[in-house]
Amino acid sequence: MLVFTRKRDEAIIIGDGIEVRVLRVGRDAVRLGVTAAPHVPVHRREIYDQIRQANATAAADAGALSEIAARLRRAGPPAGGDAS
Amino acid sequence: MSTAILQGGIIEFDDGLPGFEKVRQFVLVVSPSLDPFTLVQGTGAGAPSFLAIDPRLVDAAYASPLAESDRIRLGAEPKTPLLWLVLVTMGADGRATVNLKAPLVINPGAMRGIQLLAPDSPYAIDHPLPPV
Repeated sequence: MLVFTRKRDEAIIIGDGIEVRVLRVGRDAVRLGVTAAPHVPVHRREIYDQIRQANATAAADAGALSEIAARLRRAGPPAGGDAS
Repeated sequence: MSTAILQGGIIEFDDGLPGFEKVRQFVLVVSPSLDPFTLVQGTGAGAPSFLAIDPRLVDAAYASPLAESDRIRLGAEPKTPLLWLVLVTMGADGRATVNLKAPLVINPGAMRGIQLLAPDSPYAIDHPLPPV
């Protein structure tokens, strides 16, 4: 891991033009500004991990999912709305 | 928007899905035996599949904001019609939930999709699936 010491208003550049700038330094938190091209996704780590966990739980093979769909369809009457 | 028009076509997810970053291509499978669910099937050996549903069938007022950067990743204009799907999870207790927090958003015109990660989303990651 690369380790930098940066002061307020100082930045680092990653790759081709991704900038991470220190906007404010508090006692327990640092406010960062990230500048990147629109197609580069930037996420808070804990949100990404939360969704990764949810996706891992949701993933299955197609056959098992078809059976689950059939079971869920039997479990209740149509919810209404346009499902098409 | 109907998922049926996308049947069989390969949709490119340039960033994959969190946890499955290398799986970049998915097809949607719809059939009378699945309806109202859609099967989101990864292509390639061992690729995962997901069961998904229109979030409006779960919450009629569902509306998740789409950032300009996400629209650009989808190759979509502000008026471009988009397909929204949320993933279904079976809990250990046998109850199904849906991930309203991180929906799949697909631009059918460009056959491109993303999983939306909106940090300020008011929706739950494990919203109970109502009877379908």
